[in-house]
Amino acid sequence: MAPNTPVLRVDLASDRPVYEQIVSGLRAVLVAGEFEPGDQLPTVRQLATDLGVHHNTVAEAYRVLADEGWLDLRRGRGAVVLDRREAKPSPEAKQGFARRLEELVAKAITDGVPRSKIADHMAALAKKLGKA
Amino acid sequence: MVEHPQFLVGAFMAVVAALVAWLFWMVPLWSRPGLYFAVTVPPEFKKTPEALDLLRSYRIQALIHTAISFALLSAAIPRHWPLLVLGEIWLAIGPVIAFMRARERVMRHGVAPVSVREAVLAPRAAHLPGGWILQLGPFAVLLAATIYLHLHWEQIPDRFPVHWGLDGQPNGWSVRTPAGVYGPLLLAFGVIAGISLMTYGILHHARVVRIPGSGATKYDFAHRIGFFLVAVEFFLAIIFSFAAFLPLTGNPGIAFPLIFTVLILAATFPLAAWLNRGRAQQLTSIATTPGSSLGDGTLDKYWKMGVFYCNPDDAALFVEARFGVGYTINFGHSSAWIVMAVVSLIVLFPLGIALTALSHR
Repeated sequence: MAPNTPVLRVDLASDRPVYEQIVSGLRAVLVAGEFEPGDQLPTVRQLATDLGVHHNTVAEAYRVLADEGWLDLRRGRGAVVLDRREAKPSPEAKQGFARRLEELVAKAITDGVPRSKIADHMAALAKKLGKA
Repeated sequence: MVEHPQFLVGAFMAVVAALVAWLFWMVPLWSRPGLYFAVTVPPEFKKTPEALDLLRSYRIQALIHTAISFALLSAAIPRHWPLLVLGEIWLAIGPVIAFMRARERVMRHGVAPVSVREAVLAPRAAHLPGGWILQLGPFAVLLAATIYLHLHWEQIPDRFPVHWGLDGQPNGWSVRTPAGVYGPLLLAFGVIAGISLMTYGILHHARVVRIPGSGATKYDFAHRIGFFLVAVEFFLAIIFSFAAFLPLTGNPGIAFPLIFTVLILAATFPLAAWLNRGRAQQLTSIATTPGSSLGDGTLDKYWKMGVFYCNPDDAALFVEARFGVGYTINFGHSSAWIVMAVVSLIVLFPLGIALTALSHR
């Protein structure tokens, strides 16, 4: 295994459902362009085994990502990364994103995360997205 | 011919009792740093006075149980069956009860394991240790033995002894039929096929725990276990082949069991040390990586008696055993009972065939 192979991390003790954590974790990796179209992801069985969760949890997460156009789940091929053309966002989607981001930043500041740290994270994220 | 069979039986039982006592003495130490009596505890707990007292108390109880069972077995010589059975049951259950009592005490100090799980987002390239050539080696040994017997079929007596009493006299016979001659090899085939299936299962259906930063995974250690199992398969193939040659060689005398006992001891300790070194390297690697999990994150509540793992929500069919080196089956997995049934069948079916050719007269 190469040291820079993307890794998915979930917290089983979190209040957030595991399938949601898998969806957002995988989506972040896909958005960051860490996979090429045609790359193979672990099978449902393998990912569920490694995360210690039920098959259905991973299968559900993969289905969500397939519905979003990220993955091809044809039988016998496993989960294959698709060449997803970026959708044209609706004004509602843009507004919704901006609102959620502001809420997230406000919560982080409330929790004591320094503003400079948040700015650093956002700059790093913007840089990463720019590369994708 | 053995002149003092009772002495030999007594000596044999003493060795068995000593081995069992040693096994139960050591068992609490054969686990990962974060486990004590198969319970998840803080790593520093093992060195606390309470933990040491608990260990001492358990060991004393285990020794007492072993001594009682040895006394019962000794009193059963030569053939006092009720005492013999009682002694064996005591040997099997007594130390386990001591272990369970100690485990209950440790559970008061249990902590939750790391809840964060990581998975590498790449398909697993699971290669059988040594490739197909090494994996097929034990089967090739059995095949060679089968061919040899087939070529010497005419030299095999119609009826031949396959078991001898301590007085050197035969007390079990078989006949020159395919089941009688090839039975031991068929049985070996079943046992070795069962072990091969387990190896495959461990490599494909056990959790791969990543060791952050190093690029290594616990899969590397599973591979080492795979090699160990292949060594066991070769050993079994050789032993069963020798047993299958009994119709041609006749009574092997005491030399046969003696040679194999020496071989087992000579092979076991270096192999165990080699496995343990791999485990130690892995643990060192994990311990020096902040935030990494020592185990594969199974929760205490899914471990029955600290030995049987039963979690229907865990997709892993095999998980790391809580003590000893290796893996155990997840009895809560939907395929667990199918795997157990298949493995039992491929072992019991040949055993049944081999037994049909045996007689005691």
